[in-house]
Amino acid sequence: MEQTVYEKQSTISLHEKQLKVRKYSKKSIIYLLLVIYALVNAYPIFWMFLNSFKGNVEISQNPFGFPIQWVFENYKIAWETAKLNTYFFNSLIVSFVSVAITVFLGALASYFLARFTFRSGKIMYSFFIFGLLIPIHATLVPLFLLMKNLGLLNTHVGLILPYIAFNLPITIFILVSFMKSFPTEIEESAVMDGCGVFRIFWSIILPMTKPALATVVILNFIHCWNEFSFALVLLNDESLKTLPLGLANFAGQYTTNYGAQMAGLSLAIIPTIIIYLLMEEHLVKGMTAGAVKG
Amino acid sequence: MHILSRNKWPIFIGLAPALVIYLLFAIVPIIISFYYSVMDWDGFTDMKFVGLENFREALTDPIFWSSLKNNLLVVAASVFGQIPIALFFALLLNRKLKGGKIFRTLGFMPVVISTVIISLVWGMMYNSRRGLFNKLLEAVGLENLAQNWLGDPKWAMISVCITMVWQFVGLYLIIFLAALQNIPQEIYEAAEIDGASEMKKTRYITLPMMRNSIIVAVILCISGSLRTFDLIYVMTSGGPGHSTEVLAMYMFDQTFSSTRYGYGSALSLFIFFFSLLLVYVSTLVLKRKET
Repeated sequence: MEQTVYEKQSTISLHEKQLKVRKYSKKSIIYLLLVIYALVNAYPIFWMFLNSFKGNVEISQNPFGFPIQWVFENYKIAWETAKLNTYFFNSLIVSFVSVAITVFLGALASYFLARFTFRSGKIMYSFFIFGLLIPIHATLVPLFLLMKNLGLLNTHVGLILPYIAFNLPITIFILVSFMKSFPTEIEESAVMDGCGVFRIFWSIILPMTKPALATVVILNFIHCWNEFSFALVLLNDESLKTLPLGLANFAGQYTTNYGAQMAGLSLAIIPTIIIYLLMEEHLVKGMTAGAVKG
Repeated sequence: MHILSRNKWPIFIGLAPALVIYLLFAIVPIIISFYYSVMDWDGFTDMKFVGLENFREALTDPIFWSSLKNNLLVVAASVFGQIPIALFFALLLNRKLKGGKIFRTLGFMPVVISTVIISLVWGMMYNSRRGLFNKLLEAVGLENLAQNWLGDPKWAMISVCITMVWQFVGLYLIIFLAALQNIPQEIYEAAEIDGASEMKKTRYITLPMMRNSIIVAVILCISGSLRTFDLIYVMTSGGPGHSTEVLAMYMFDQTFSSTRYGYGSALSLFIFFFSLLLVYVSTLVLKRKET
């Protein structure tokens, strides 16, 4: 359609001109709506970022614009005085360990669930997938009591274990569907060469699963990095708290210092946004995987 | 891979670690909930068996019912807010547009940001003195419309729901865009030859072809918004005066502030069964529509 309009430009009639005008005005309305949508999405974050460089007085006098006087002090307060550095490293440790174990154990389990036929295989797979339906808040009380009995309350291990348990279902879901797509001949030739089961997993299947592994790693990382409820219930010690928990605390303490609060939030959000922008494709794929498959 | 399936040991070794952790920390807690839910226990003194008393108490507890009502409000706001908005912008974005990817990227961004951060930022935006909304109203001369958004029981629930809608529109936008890309182009070409307008094409081709993804999105939306906790905990903690209380929040309060582990466990089980029931009903609806 678009092309025919241009081709006949020499003999353009009044009617076609009107069509073209209508087309352009339609396009600008679409753009206008999309720009509004983008602004609504991005502005709260941008507003926070701008105000993180302002003093208290300026926040109330100049709430929308760029800072007149840049106050970098806010970041120092957030990072050191409010101990965001501690929370930040706690989050890093907890997320890294959880993701590494979840993905390794999940990949190993997926390999057997996807590439082997055994009697309980199907049931086992459904059993793992059932985990997607468990509302985590229904497990907060019993997990708290369980960790208390195991002596793991107020330790990072006590937080990492439920993170692994609740991230395994989506990990296995994504990896199994990916591993199932490989042809069987791959392992057959490896077996002929005398490869063992675990050797096949490590040197053949795992490298082939790389794209799905990337999705799963990023997805799990974001889940752990952002997780709040478990951390709230299972951690009490100031020096062990993760970033979301620390931020909620910090905001409660510094209610009067808006600038420092926003500086803290900006610091916490930067890694997420960088990972998102670099790995958008993988992250989007992971987060919508459950949905698209139904 | 049948060649190797004669030997069961590797399978067992490969599955056991994942299975053990999953069982112990995801499945067992649900099972222990049943045990605690029939007990009266403050965590220190001896447990006392009380039968179904905790469940009976919940059903006669006015705050339980108002939490449930708020939970359903959140579900309604999410389903009728997130999904139509997401559908609308997915339809707008589903064409050749310069910079279309930027809108997608910005649209999905709130979904990846921690709920705690979103709650804190929006909490500041709602602040009655220095918040963005009241400042905006002031700037356009409508300061008489300014509210104490989170402090006023009349507005608190609405404000919380708006934040929730904002947070998750992007998820459904991406789901719908994926579904739109799966519709074969030939159908549209045929309709164009017949002179169908864009409105007609949307109404008679696009929407019917997306029915399944819309239903899936609705299910996802229901089960997701039933679990709301972090946002409410950080923004209002259920207040003012229980006006934004939801089930998970109430359960948390009863367990950890009032240290009533038995009652809290009973409330946990309500959440669990309620979620399963809703997901089950929605999948039934989905299956019926398919046939």
